Amino acid sequence: MNPWLHGAVYGAGLLGFMMTVGALASWYERKFTAVVQNRLGPNVVGPFGVYQPIADAIKMLRKEEIIPRDADRPLYLLAPWIPTFLVLISAAAVPFGGYYAADGHWQSTWLVADLDLGVLWLLAVSGLMVFPIWMAGWSGNNKYALLAGMRMVAQGISYEIPMVLTALVPVIAVGSMSISDIVAYQAEHGWLIWKLPGIGLVAFVFFYLASLAESNRIPFDIPEAESELVGGVLVEYTGMRFGIVLLSEYLHTLVASIVASALFLGGGHMPFLSAMLPWWTAPIFMLLKVGALFFSIYWVRWSWVRYRADQLMELCWYWMVPISLAMVMATALMVTGGWL
Amino acid sequence: MKYFSGSIDSLIATIKNSFRPVVTESVRPEASRAERYRASFALTHDANGEQNCIGCKLCENICPSTVITVVAGPKRVSEFTGKKRGYADDFTVDLQACIYCELCVSVCPTDSIVMVRVQEQPSFDREDLVLTQDKLYANETSKPLSWANGTKLRAMLDPNASPEEDAS
Amino acid sequence: MSGTTTRVNPHLDIERYDSDADLMALNMGPQHPSTHGVLRIKLFLDGEVIIKAVPYPGYLHRGVEKLLEKLTYVQITPIVDKHDYVSPMINEQAINVAFEKLAGVEVPRRARWMRTLLAEMQRVASHLLWLGTFVLDIGGTIGGGASLMMFTFRERELILDLFEELTGARFHYNTHMVGGNRHDIPVGWAQHVREAFTLIRSRIADYHQQCTANAIFLDRTVNVGVIPADLALELGLTGPNLRGSGVDHDLRRDAPFHAYDEIPVNVAVHGGCDSFGRYMVRMAELEESCRLVLDIVDNVPEGPICSLKPVKTPGHVKVAERRQVYVGIESPRGELGTWVIGGGAERGAAPYRCKIRPPCLHAMSALPYALVGHTISDVVAVLGSLDPIMGEVDR
Repeated sequence: MNPWLHGAVYGAGLLGFMMTVGALASWYERKFTAVVQNRLGPNVVGPFGVYQPIADAIKMLRKEEIIPRDADRPLYLLAPWIPTFLVLISAAAVPFGGYYAADGHWQSTWLVADLDLGVLWLLAVSGLMVFPIWMAGWSGNNKYALLAGMRMVAQGISYEIPMVLTALVPVIAVGSMSISDIVAYQAEHGWLIWKLPGIGLVAFVFFYLASLAESNRIPFDIPEAESELVGGVLVEYTGMRFGIVLLSEYLHTLVASIVASALFLGGGHMPFLSAMLPWWTAPIFMLLKVGALFFSIYWVRWSWVRYRADQLMELCWYWMVPISLAMVMATALMVTGGWL
Repeated sequence: MKYFSGSIDSLIATIKNSFRPVVTESVRPEASRAERYRASFALTHDANGEQNCIGCKLCENICPSTVITVVAGPKRVSEFTGKKRGYADDFTVDLQACIYCELCVSVCPTDSIVMVRVQEQPSFDREDLVLTQDKLYANETSKPLSWANGTKLRAMLDPNASPEEDAS
Repeated sequence: MSGTTTRVNPHLDIERYDSDADLMALNMGPQHPSTHGVLRIKLFLDGEVIIKAVPYPGYLHRGVEKLLEKLTYVQITPIVDKHDYVSPMINEQAINVAFEKLAGVEVPRRARWMRTLLAEMQRVASHLLWLGTFVLDIGGTIGGGASLMMFTFRERELILDLFEELTGARFHYNTHMVGGNRHDIPVGWAQHVREAFTLIRSRIADYHQQCTANAIFLDRTVNVGVIPADLALELGLTGPNLRGSGVDHDLRRDAPFHAYDEIPVNVAVHGGCDSFGRYMVRMAELEESCRLVLDIVDNVPEGPICSLKPVKTPGHVKVAERRQVYVGIESPRGELGTWVIGGGAERGAAPYRCKIRPPCLHAMSALPYALVGHTISDVVAVLGSLDPIMGEVDR
């Protein structure tokens, strides 16, 4: 198919999917929280309160736009839009479907762009997301926002390192940076989370935690710590700008789940079922995995308390970076030694 | 290792709790309030339909926030009992400053002022929070009365009163 | 970057610290989600490390002690409810115990036992609220802390329902008077108390599971906000703050009031001197108070609940001569003391001067010492562990 047409159609589909999930994520979060805390949650607007995100959006659109007088206007106005844009394009290289072709190889489908450097694309885009949070923090002309922005810079660039290193583990094991190749390898040889003994599980957990840190979720939500910094970088934002940043945060958790399930959990593949079931079950399995990880991200958020900034750094640099380096080297040894 | 087990413990505690029943209600039904709940005020009539208030101003004097204003009328003969008694020409309770301490109820010698178990509705005018004599008498029938009145509160303090039978 | 144990002088002028340091002055202002009321703390920061912290209380000052010179002894009780608005029963008891000692009024035995029961129930309710807000501040208003807060408030609702059944109000009860109590126990209340507190007791294990073993929580509270025992004694800290620094002092055992001379209390002490120590002391007090309530509610003796006749006029209790009395009782935050001088307005029906000794004010004075060397995240942990209530600090 014409690559432009392919990109447009699948891109529109992915965009629609992500925006829908992003909107529903806020409803899901509130409902899940309510169940955990023995409360009712939204239940007035629509059946089970499903229209609550729409009501919230309308409310935010109607709010008064307050821009601080001494704010750095270009940065202030630009900062909310960049993370949304980045997060929407980052899942472009992940295949959502697949099937076993006639010759026994797994063929990944349902992806916007079959990049040869898919993993690099993901990591680069998530690396760029540090900037808009810092921009928001700096431009508000507020000491609390500044502190939060600085914390985000420290946290963001620190946690990129374990994220990159643990994402390298599947790359080295498979020998290719293309995500569709990684998924195909897992479909043929078993999921990487257990294929690499010990390393797979630890790499998956560290990748998961690093993604949590990148998207400012508890236990790493120090830049947004509401009880200390009163909203962190977002303290000077009102109305829809605030809403856009929150949406991008939900979407980032979604992207983190998608990427983790593609790199470590085998994408659209299920061990015995995929061989027997038709091709359209693969996206369903993918969505199940994404849903399970999504659920666990929210579960973690509502159970744990948050780290202090220096403890967060200590966790990253004392523990995650050395162990990730060791895992990369071990994987490389296993590949060259032929044990893989 | 304790690092991980403690974290997993927290996750388990949260999920364990999600199986317990919901404890919040959309709107609390008025009947579920306790008997003695005190929320607003009412003035009462006696069995003959005459107002209980004799204009003695004990409630006005005891109120720590001085929200009660009683204008005592001239003493006249009651048409039901034939005896001369006092009346209150005007009685105002200012709910804006009331602290709901129940002292006025406990001193009333004729059980005239009592509290009711339902709050006043919020409104846009301050005048609606100043309970005039008409509103107070209307509350007697329109809102459920609280258990406590002057006689009962004083009876609880009586050293010779027999305690209520506790079935537990 | 954990707390230092060397004593700093918080009264040093900021320029004397280090004239080259580029310090940022940050206001954790009166409007802040975690300052437990309206408290302003001016922080001088070097990056994120606090070099000097200056608390400014007084935003909730309402002039209550001036008002108490005008109101009479029988009218004061509903006013002092509003000091420590989280445990109003204790406030009422503190002031009435002082008035009774001043006026020479004896309290009947049933009233003393009821007061003990109500004090312990209030202690449980107050500690539940403290636990909820403490973990809320550490963990996030939208996050793990909020879950625990909902759990503790769910249990606290049970206690408030019990108080509603007894007195008619969920908060600010006005159920004590000079000479005893005003409301007697209704039928069936004891059974409800037993059910509620058995449930609460079983839930305490849940709270421990969520917090005490959680490594992140331990990281946030161990060695944070260290107040050594000698500093605590010097500043006048009392209650769980003092017992969390290893000093074994509890007014319920050492200077018994109400019926505590007949009821033994196991006092919890933790030698940690840090936020975790204060947390453990309060958790132990939660369990102990639940046990006490279950013990007391079955054994309240019969008898009158007040030794004075019912109140008719504001001048019901009069103290004509100008003598003074001080009584301190153990509130969930420490020693809540009342110093009364009789012989005031209206021919002695009102006190001449009534001073409340709030335990939280002394906890505020510990802030400049406890916060030095920590970061902003630790401020909320330390504040939460000291459990201040600004209504009491400012009156």
